[in-house]
Amino acid sequence: MADNSTYAIEMLNITKRFPGIIANDNVTIQLKKGEIHALLGENGAGKSTLMSVLFGLYQAEEGVIKKDGREVKINNPNDANDLGIGMVHQHFKLVQCFTVLDNIILGVETTKYGLLQKEEARKKVLELSDKYGLKVDPDAKIEDITVGMQQRTEILKMLYRDNEILIFDEPTAVLTPSEIDELMDIMRNLAKEGKSILFISHKLAEIMAVADRCSVLRRGKYIGTVNIADTNQDELSRMMVGRDVQLVATKEDKVPGDVILHVENMTVPSKLHHNNAVKNVSFDVRSGEIVCIAGIDGNGQTELVYGLSGLENCTTGKITLSGKDITHASIRERSTSGMSHIPEDRHKHGLVMDYSLAYNLVLQRYFEPEFSNKAGFLKKSEINKYADKLIKQYDIRSGQGAPTIARSMSGGNQQKAIIAREIDKNPDLLIAVQPTRGLDVGAIEYIHKQLIAQRDAGHAVLLVSLELEEVMSISDRILVMYEGELVGEFDPKKTTPEELGLYMAGAKRKEIGA
Amino acid sequence: MTGQEKNKKSGGLLSNPAVQSILAALLCIVIGLLVGYIALLIINPGGATNAIITILKNYFTYPSKQAAMKYLGNTLVKAAPLLMCALSIQFCYQAGLFNIGAAGQYVAGAGAALFCALQLKLAWPVCLLAALIAGGVFGIIVGILKSYLNVNEVISGIMLNWIGLYTVNMLLSGVKETASPYTVQIASVNKSALLPSLGMEKLFTNNKYVTIAIPLAVIIAIVLKIVLSMTVFGYEIKATGIAKDAAKYSGMKEKKNIILTLFIGGALAGLGAAFLFLTGYEQWSVTQSSVPGMGFNGIAATFLGGLDPIGTIFASYFIQHITSGGSYLDKNIYPSQISDFISAIIIYLCGFVLFFKLYLNSYLSRRQERDKNKTVASTNKEEGGNK
Amino acid sequence: MVLLLQYTLLFASVLILVALGGCFSEHSGVINLGLEGIMVMGALGGALTLKYISPNTPALVIVLAVLFASIICGVVYSTLLAVACINLKADQTLVGTALNMLAAAAATVIVKSINIAENPDNVSSTVQYVQTKKALVVSIGSFQFNWFMLVALILLICAYVILYKTKFGLRLMACGEHPQAADSVGINVYKMRWAGVLISGMLAGIGGIVYITAGVSEWKFEVGVAGFGFLSLAVMIFGQWKPLNIGLAALLFGFFRALSNVYSGFDFLAALNIPGSVYNMMPYIISLVVLAFTSANSRAPKAEGIPYDKGSR
Repeated sequence: MADNSTYAIEMLNITKRFPGIIANDNVTIQLKKGEIHALLGENGAGKSTLMSVLFGLYQAEEGVIKKDGREVKINNPNDANDLGIGMVHQHFKLVQCFTVLDNIILGVETTKYGLLQKEEARKKVLELSDKYGLKVDPDAKIEDITVGMQQRTEILKMLYRDNEILIFDEPTAVLTPSEIDELMDIMRNLAKEGKSILFISHKLAEIMAVADRCSVLRRGKYIGTVNIADTNQDELSRMMVGRDVQLVATKEDKVPGDVILHVENMTVPSKLHHNNAVKNVSFDVRSGEIVCIAGIDGNGQTELVYGLSGLENCTTGKITLSGKDITHASIRERSTSGMSHIPEDRHKHGLVMDYSLAYNLVLQRYFEPEFSNKAGFLKKSEINKYADKLIKQYDIRSGQGAPTIARSMSGGNQQKAIIAREIDKNPDLLIAVQPTRGLDVGAIEYIHKQLIAQRDAGHAVLLVSLELEEVMSISDRILVMYEGELVGEFDPKKTTPEELGLYMAGAKRKEIGA
Repeated sequence: MTGQEKNKKSGGLLSNPAVQSILAALLCIVIGLLVGYIALLIINPGGATNAIITILKNYFTYPSKQAAMKYLGNTLVKAAPLLMCALSIQFCYQAGLFNIGAAGQYVAGAGAALFCALQLKLAWPVCLLAALIAGGVFGIIVGILKSYLNVNEVISGIMLNWIGLYTVNMLLSGVKETASPYTVQIASVNKSALLPSLGMEKLFTNNKYVTIAIPLAVIIAIVLKIVLSMTVFGYEIKATGIAKDAAKYSGMKEKKNIILTLFIGGALAGLGAAFLFLTGYEQWSVTQSSVPGMGFNGIAATFLGGLDPIGTIFASYFIQHITSGGSYLDKNIYPSQISDFISAIIIYLCGFVLFFKLYLNSYLSRRQERDKNKTVASTNKEEGGNK
Repeated sequence: MVLLLQYTLLFASVLILVALGGCFSEHSGVINLGLEGIMVMGALGGALTLKYISPNTPALVIVLAVLFASIICGVVYSTLLAVACINLKADQTLVGTALNMLAAAAATVIVKSINIAENPDNVSSTVQYVQTKKALVVSIGSFQFNWFMLVALILLICAYVILYKTKFGLRLMACGEHPQAADSVGINVYKMRWAGVLISGMLAGIGGIVYITAGVSEWKFEVGVAGFGFLSLAVMIFGQWKPLNIGLAALLFGFFRALSNVYSGFDFLAALNIPGSVYNMMPYIISLVVLAFTSANSRAPKAEGIPYDKGSR
């Protein structure tokens, strides 16, 4: 299969610029027929941009695309579809209130007398689903089915259109370990049937497991292509970041102190469904330890944090912070009682994007006497002075310093600003939700160091993370969350990612004492 | 035309947001007047030029300085309530709320002020307070529906406009003139309810309608400017308007702020109505079947003023200036509503202001880049326009 | 009683037409707050047709001509919303409001200019169509059947079929729910949103002429359409953006609106001696109450009100 020397798709010397940055700088990728070709790179390396160019969502300024050796122009997704190119996007492109079938036929509907004909489509979908082992219920609505089934719907969308070249953009991020294995099988199956696959990922183990060849991008530049059979994880990792990386954070052993956060039988309702997102959860976080909530996305972690921070009301349970009952306290009271919160969504919650950096840095403290007087006026000079201090101390880089509008800053520096703000409050408890998501290795290292520094200073840290690597390397204690419940407690030194995976997938559970 | 304007000024000045707002406002006015002129040409080509000049001249049509001053006074008397309505809409817009209910809050304020003045025979400070509260209450209803029941504030605002209109018609039907649908003259039944002039009428050729309402409206605009830009309350309001979720995350009382904002907005519009009706300049018609346009014209003024209280002072004056100017048109040739038509065109164009600024900024940055490229020497020219 | 039924059906027809207009626009992702203004323009087109068409023209031709004129006016006027909100990404609330004010001012200016041109002493904004209006109505006993009731019913059924049974409807709703998804399967979101807005212009245009011809045989354009565009939006929300529910909601609202026209004909209502203003207020109060109960869990199209930008994903 991979010995076929002609290429299915070639992207030659592609350059794509956005205002201020070059997202792809002279990148070349050649996809052989019937192979699984991985595209590796960090967040922001330009993988997604390159694939958007191939899929016709963007047009490249320079370079050519060849299909079966012939030059082609791809101006929109329709052109890509006509050439047999399909894509499973990182964020699924599915209409939530439509059925699986409607989503599959959207854009290529068959009609008779102007009316939709769904019966034939249903037959074809069921055939495809049988052939490739893609189990779906064609009449279920997307909003009611699991993430795994949503992804299978996306794959069926491509197959329904008889696509030959399949792009998978970070497909494993939202899946449980067993679902990942299933996906890998499906991909191998598809390749065997002659489909050519481009697999975008930054997870080395998965690439090693499933790909035939791998091309690496770094900061928009093409680094090289290697045969998976002739390489190893270390080499790939070096190609990806340009240096040896210490993926394991160093920290000294420490005996945890007093209980800072005590949670008893907490239940939080869900905004999306009619059931509870967090069910009867109890746990403690002590001073001088990092407790990590591990789990697959969407198992109640978000709501757990909402309940703790006061963004959502708990229906039952009791929360104590440093001995003080905060179950019914407002968000502001919790914040002033020593809770800091690095939110999951920094654009939605963490920052007022159209405020200046200085105004954002006092978002949790503007009402304190230091920054406003009794008459209700802001002390602007104090605010600016404080902002300058934090900018220097935490190395926050922005165009014009304190007056810079937050929106115009890079993602890494926006996150640094939030971390500076939350840590400088000198909190007893720091809650950090996916603090490293979407950041490059340098920023990730920085943030890990800050979290460990908090722990070493004797504060309590509650980290919610989806990345097992992160969980294993910086936590002192791991709690696994599955379907709104805590199903296991682990010492990172005495467990393995595989064991955690079983609990995260709900295959195993054990009682934990709070 | 616009291109030449832009080229004359330096890029540095043009990238200043305040300059951009003023430029955008002027552009809206020019295009609005142009469209109005075209409409006049279609109706009757002969007198169109004179007609548009009449609208723009307003009280300057009077040759004597005294008469001009007197009618300048009249324009100001009506500009004050317009400014208040504009401020009402603007204040709410800062918190992310489109207070189209200002029209109804204005109606409520008018009803309360006139009821207190004519029926209860109370003095003007009490009447002002009543108008303020009535407008505020109408605002609060919208606020509660919005924050607790997720009702779109535009739709509830419109509904309350009509409810307010019919309620006030009922309320004031007891104090109307027997022979007409208009409420009785305040001067004839309760002089104490008339706003004091503090001698200002002398400046305007004894125009007795010129009262403290005019300076008060301007002072309120300045106060709002200070509140929005310098206080904790302004910081919270604007944060709620720009980023509701971030405001909630930081512990601001988002629901309370929404309700409070709409109360203030309603109070401003209600007060605006009192500023007009307590001068005796206008009487309320208890059979009117459409909501007074003052609240809607406020939308034009506030957006034309670049959503800035100080800019809104000038914008309100301008809108009232051309509206008053419209009444000098020869009724038997041109409808006076041509002024409303121009105002409406201006609001429509204000919708493009954001686009205009984006375009201007991308044009400026492209030009900057082009200049940079030129100095580097080898230039591969690309024509601007396709972004 | 017959009169009440007749007015209920008439006003319900208006609400159905305009609410369906809002429904198409919102399903495509554009909040159309300019429905009120579009109604005025549609009413103007229809009224002028009635004014100028010869009363001797066959009734069917008159009905069709009036419909055609209203549709053209509504559609043309709604392009102002489409350009601003879809292509130039303007604030949809602001533009909708501007269109309402513009329509009221423009219609008044146009009608007054026409009246003045005919007779310089006639400075009113009223259009009369006493003779030709009769073509719209067929008397069945004491019930006056209006052809527009049939039009509304047909369009209601059409709307249901188009939204749920055709390719166009599927694609339209995809654009309002998840435009990025629609784009990724090759649907032109801008085109679909244009279609949604123009259809809403067509329906609201018809709604406008039905409204002004419901009772009297002349219309004063200074008063506009009394918030009916917004009442229709309330009907749409109450009907949860679904055509058949909208039909039922419109009947309820239509009933209360009809009551304010005919309450004096009912002895027991007249005996209560409630001021007319109260009846006039009823539809607005009802809609506030209904909105208060239905808005919290609304199933509005997810992407409505957000301008679509191809660049941002």
